[in-house]
Amino acid sequence: MSDFISARGIKRGLSYLVVGGWALFSVFFVVWVVLASLKKNRELFGSPLSIPTSPQWGNFVKTWVNNRFGDYFLNSLLVTSVSVVAILIVAVPAAYVLSRGRFRGREALSSFFAFGMGVPFPLLFVPLFVMMASMRLADTLTGLTIVYVALSIPFTIYVLEGFFSSLPSELESAAVIDGCSDVQVFRHVMLPLAMPGVATVAILNFVGLWNEYQLSLVLINSPENRTLSLGIYSLITSMQYSGGDWASLFAGVTIVMVPTLILFVILSEKMISGITMGGVK
Amino acid sequence: MMRRRMVIAFLAPALLLYLGFLILPAVQAFYLSFYDTSGFGDSAEWVGLSNYARLWGDSVFWRAIRNMALIMFVGGIATFGLAFLFTMLMNAGMKGKKLFRTLIFMPNVIAVVAITTFWSFVFMPRYGMLTSFLKAIGLDGIAATAWTAPENVFYAMMVGLVWISVGFYTILIMAGADKIPADMYEAARLEGASTFQIFRQITLPMIWDVILITLILWAIQAVKIVEFPYAFGGPNIDQNLYTPAIYLYIMGFGQRESVYALGYSTTIGVVMFILTIAIIVLMRFLFRRERVEF
Repeated sequence: MSDFISARGIKRGLSYLVVGGWALFSVFFVVWVVLASLKKNRELFGSPLSIPTSPQWGNFVKTWVNNRFGDYFLNSLLVTSVSVVAILIVAVPAAYVLSRGRFRGREALSSFFAFGMGVPFPLLFVPLFVMMASMRLADTLTGLTIVYVALSIPFTIYVLEGFFSSLPSELESAAVIDGCSDVQVFRHVMLPLAMPGVATVAILNFVGLWNEYQLSLVLINSPENRTLSLGIYSLITSMQYSGGDWASLFAGVTIVMVPTLILFVILSEKMISGITMGGVK
Repeated sequence: MMRRRMVIAFLAPALLLYLGFLILPAVQAFYLSFYDTSGFGDSAEWVGLSNYARLWGDSVFWRAIRNMALIMFVGGIATFGLAFLFTMLMNAGMKGKKLFRTLIFMPNVIAVVAITTFWSFVFMPRYGMLTSFLKAIGLDGIAATAWTAPENVFYAMMVGLVWISVGFYTILIMAGADKIPADMYEAARLEGASTFQIFRQITLPMIWDVILITLILWAIQAVKIVEFPYAFGGPNIDQNLYTPAIYLYIMGFGQRESVYALGYSTTIGVVMFILTIAIIVLMRFLFRRERVEF
């Protein structure tokens, strides 16, 4: 009997070791990058696993000012925030009508929107680039924002439809009996109820677009229009010629990673439940 | 109840944006794949199927397809194997399940370029973190391995890719497993079933539909993947890291010297799209199986 218990104990300990070890590596990753951003390059290469002896805040100044990450940060913040607001303005009403309305072709239209999730974005690289060039929106943050909004519609509508259709219909009928018009039912009854869902898609889109990289790589060319991800990529490119200032590069990596990590620390439950709802509905 | 006017007004903005900037370019992509053009002013020349014929004989394209298949199968086995393992262990009554799940998922909220920069440093020749670590524990022989040499760089990339993906697929599979009634586990445990038996006999069949969706998701992500290997490869990306989407990007927009073979580039996109549709149809067919109701 005691053999049985200890065998179980060993198995249990092993489980914690495997799962816990993997989970700890995520923490190690974040801590290591932040520490690396505060080191001298010699220290970073000489003893990559040490704690910086004297924190080099100058790395951040260099990255923020000389490498223009201050500008990139503002670009990312602007494009991401405007896109998220615009996505909500167009997708929330559409998802509401698609899940609560009764009209012919509703289901077909809903599937038509969902179809967009199956289109691989690289298919659109060239046509979008040509289209943006002909509208004189190539290499502009406006053009990038429009593309972000349009390409986020399928996923956003898909997740929101799930939220709207889970709301009870009694409230809707009660509001109609009380004399609410259809638009009032939406604004004063259903929208407030769906707010948790709206917040979820807002956060997921914010994180996704903040980290977005392939479309901006295709559409943005000038240094002054770069987003943070593009800034890091271009810094890596320039390091090829100027020798490796990896410490400053990790300062840039810290700058791009901290905002989404803060959001994740506060809202991880909401984000994870939103993703699993979208993926496993 | 809902007036027609409202239905139209609520749908129109989303529908117009979706049609204009997703469906229209997708249709244009098919059209472009029959032309030879570099964009900018010069007239596009109709070349019929010759872009496709050229692609068929293009060894770089086939290498990209091979890499895609390696990500799909080798990367897929690693990712799903680990995701299953973690789901199984965490569901066997581990404490702190939520915290572990959150931490395992965490890399997915971080920008891809941030993650690839870290892994580039890990695998850097001579001064990299992995080399220093191996030297420190006395494994100088292995430490001398050139992780980013052409024959190794693809698998070095795959390590980082699998690391992120495991977090993503673990939360999807666990969300499915969480919906299984707890008393089923208890009954099985009372009967003396082991953790693995419970996973094999209860969890897997009960979440079969979730697994099918995650497998489809993985396969279509493998077809369209571009960001991770591209950023990992850096400015002079090795052809051993090419995926179809990276080759598409390079043929279309080049690197330091732009190629601007826009028609040819888009043909790759069309092939990717067809592969995506084929995968969805094939998987649905292969994995057709009664869903377990509970």
